[in-house]
Amino acid sequence: MSPVNFVYLAAVLFAIGAATVLLRRNAIMAFMGVELMLNAANLTLVAFSRMVGGIEGQIMAFFVMVVAAAEVVVGLAIIIAVSRARQSISLDEPSELKG
Amino acid sequence: MTYNVPEIAWAPLVPIIVVLVAGAVGVLLEAFMRNVALRRVVQLQLSVATLVLALFAIVWQWVAIGGDGVVVLRSMIYLDRQALAWQFLLVVFAIGGVLLFADRNREGEDAFTPLASVAPGSPDETVARAKGLAVTEAFPLAMLATGGMMLFASVNDLLFLFVALELFSLPLYILVALSRRRRLLSQEASLKYFLLGAFSSAIFLFGAALVYGAAETTGMRELLGLYVPERQTLLLLGLFMVVVGLLFKIGAVPFHFWVPDAYQGAPSPVTAFMAAATKAAAVAALARLSYLVLFRFAWELDWVIWTVAIASVIFGTVLAIVQTDVKRMLAYSSVAHAGFILVGFAGFSPLALSALPFYLLTYGVATLGAFAVITQVRELTPDGAAGAEATRLGQWAGLGKRHPVLAGLMSLFLLSFAGIPLTAGFVGKFVVFRAAVEQGAWPLVVVAVLASAAAAFFYLRLVVLMYFTDAPDDASPRVEVRPTGIGRGVAIAAGVIVLVLGVLPAGALNLADEAGVLLSPPVVTGG
Amino acid sequence: MVSPLLFWFVAFVTVIPALSLLFARKPVHVAAAVVLVMVGLAVAYVALEAPFLGAVQIIVYTGAVMMLFLFVLMLVGVDKTESLKETITGQRWVALTLAVGLGALVISVVSRLPLSVNEQPVVGEPAEVASWLFGDYVLVVEVLGFVLISAALGALVLTHVPRLYPKRTQAEVHAARIAAGANPVNQAFPGVYARHNALDAPALDPEGNPIESSVSRVLKVRGQTIDGSEFKGDTQARRRELGAKEDDQ
Repeated sequence: MSPVNFVYLAAVLFAIGAATVLLRRNAIMAFMGVELMLNAANLTLVAFSRMVGGIEGQIMAFFVMVVAAAEVVVGLAIIIAVSRARQSISLDEPSELKG
Repeated sequence: MTYNVPEIAWAPLVPIIVVLVAGAVGVLLEAFMRNVALRRVVQLQLSVATLVLALFAIVWQWVAIGGDGVVVLRSMIYLDRQALAWQFLLVVFAIGGVLLFADRNREGEDAFTPLASVAPGSPDETVARAKGLAVTEAFPLAMLATGGMMLFASVNDLLFLFVALELFSLPLYILVALSRRRRLLSQEASLKYFLLGAFSSAIFLFGAALVYGAAETTGMRELLGLYVPERQTLLLLGLFMVVVGLLFKIGAVPFHFWVPDAYQGAPSPVTAFMAAATKAAAVAALARLSYLVLFRFAWELDWVIWTVAIASVIFGTVLAIVQTDVKRMLAYSSVAHAGFILVGFAGFSPLALSALPFYLLTYGVATLGAFAVITQVRELTPDGAAGAEATRLGQWAGLGKRHPVLAGLMSLFLLSFAGIPLTAGFVGKFVVFRAAVEQGAWPLVVVAVLASAAAAFFYLRLVVLMYFTDAPDDASPRVEVRPTGIGRGVAIAAGVIVLVLGVLPAGALNLADEAGVLLSPPVVTGG
Repeated sequence: MVSPLLFWFVAFVTVIPALSLLFARKPVHVAAAVVLVMVGLAVAYVALEAPFLGAVQIIVYTGAVMMLFLFVLMLVGVDKTESLKETITGQRWVALTLAVGLGALVISVVSRLPLSVNEQPVVGEPAEVASWLFGDYVLVVEVLGFVLISAALGALVLTHVPRLYPKRTQAEVHAARIAAGANPVNQAFPGVYARHNALDAPALDPEGNPIESSVSRVLKVRGQTIDGSEFKGDTQARRRELGAKEDDQ
């Protein structure tokens, strides 16, 4: 079975992640959706890397993991700061920001 | 397995290294200096000194590398005058931003909360204020963000671009949440900015992964020489997603949702820095990508640029007209400016490479100046101390009579945004539109010019409000200008630059022309 | 080449748990499901000749990132469920169409690629990865250092609370308690009885009345206490009962 199937799988996961970000109102859930999208990108990189036969894509996926970990730290810090201020983390709560 | 020691030309990287190392040193200062007041002063001096040093380093490299540019590290970074021009802009904006960060009013308050980790308005926050705490970490965060942006404007590899994108975004997400007043709003803005930013960078990354799949490389210059007909569609799809990620950072419609909230919620100095610098960095990356890779897809991508440019110009203008808050108005005006910037990309005219840095310079300086003014217009608390910033439009009525200099500066910046002749904004718009017209994109330019005429309405409305309307006597809370040393200095400096660039643009335009070349690509045999 | 069985296994343990992101109500369930997705992806990496990356995936994602998510979920309140009602009408369908369209577009474009798979791929062993990391990508590694610095600094700024009040010694704490008129000795522990030994029952004072303060306030609020009266027997009657038994012997 060709590694290209993993690219299809990655596309499915990416779509699920994107839909999560667009649909979920809970900040943590939306954030997990973003993580899924990054992972889908990683799977794409690794699968293409396998097809090419080199490991450049793997190196890139490794960098993405490091960046994603940093992003998680910052994101969760923001979520904690917000939830300390108010005991709710819904994106649609009565908002002080009105457009 | 073979390991080849990479050959790196370090000298052209000096400006970036200086800024990033200063950020790291700033972190160490946070750890080892206990005295908050002293730490704040040292951080400010360190940041400004380093940024000025970086400016000199950029000028030195500008002279040293000449017109052709230098290969710093194979396929990763190629430095040319285009990159150095953007770095120069970013450092200038960072100097303005960092100075505003340190700005304090008569009560000794800066724009940042004394302690970001306690709940807004809690007793703990009051204690922290009484103890004189300050978030001096804002300085190293700004330095790291600046370094990230300078990289973002210079790197050649899409994955490196992603890393640089995160390097400048992460500190900005934090900085947005640190407002002294209305911090709940500030944190909410930060959360929104973060989620949408992370979402867009994920799209960017997936695009980069698809490009890798299509081309087996993510280096822009390597993509340039590559042509495999059956893989073009995938390459195009990947590049499209990469462009979406960049358009998000530029703040163009329909990727502008974060702009008004982040601009309004963030402390004004952060808004000033973010508005000027993020846009410049993102445009720099988009320009590099466009002129190395995208121009080959001009036929497929032109309609995207046209649609986004027209949508941004129109939505930005219309929504700015209905705003009642000065910061939100400037936010929507920045969306409209994103549209004007994209007009320059229509048809990928070679002129745009020199027009865009100039445009962003005029826009960024005026933005810094405008927000420097905004930080000084304050609501007064009942006991006469400076309170929150007065950002409702009505509160600005009559300011021109009481504070002619400040109101005059603000008017100058607004006129520059509107693109009135003799201001920098006019020249900026002119060069960008000329680039588009040269490629036959005149319908787009007509739309943009009409929109700028409409946009002039809401800029002038504020000018009229300041000069020809009397402040209501019973206004509550009372609004007063609380001039601050640094704030006024930054506003005046920005005003001078806006005037000089508007009246005598020749020198800057010549420099911009010299910057209008990317390092000529290596000859690649088609793959 | 990858075994089809392995592929379908990976697809199964990634897609189905991932769907919980869209349909599950409790964030904790979602986090647990995403952990499974991450493990599935690690298996995929190993199958795609990237053993090092597979290990890193397990360590970084399941070990660190998702655990961090779970910690934060616990911190901000686990028992919060989210209503799945949409706030802007039609938003759900627009979002779903966009996401599904994007996925379908990628799949259709990729499926038209000429498929060529290298038969002798380089295996992503640690040494091989290292030679790349410190080769042409070395500058990226260095920049990543700064990314990590800014992340750590940012998290500290937003969450670290320095000592705002002077540290109080135990003696000072005690003096303050006495000054406030509090009971100088320990409060009574909750009830320990022959027939019932748990936190939900109050202790009895020497007269046999329940001591209200000996039960946790939280349990009281939740209504999960018993008042202890059933353990307050008639002492005299009980004694007589016991005495009677002794008499019998």
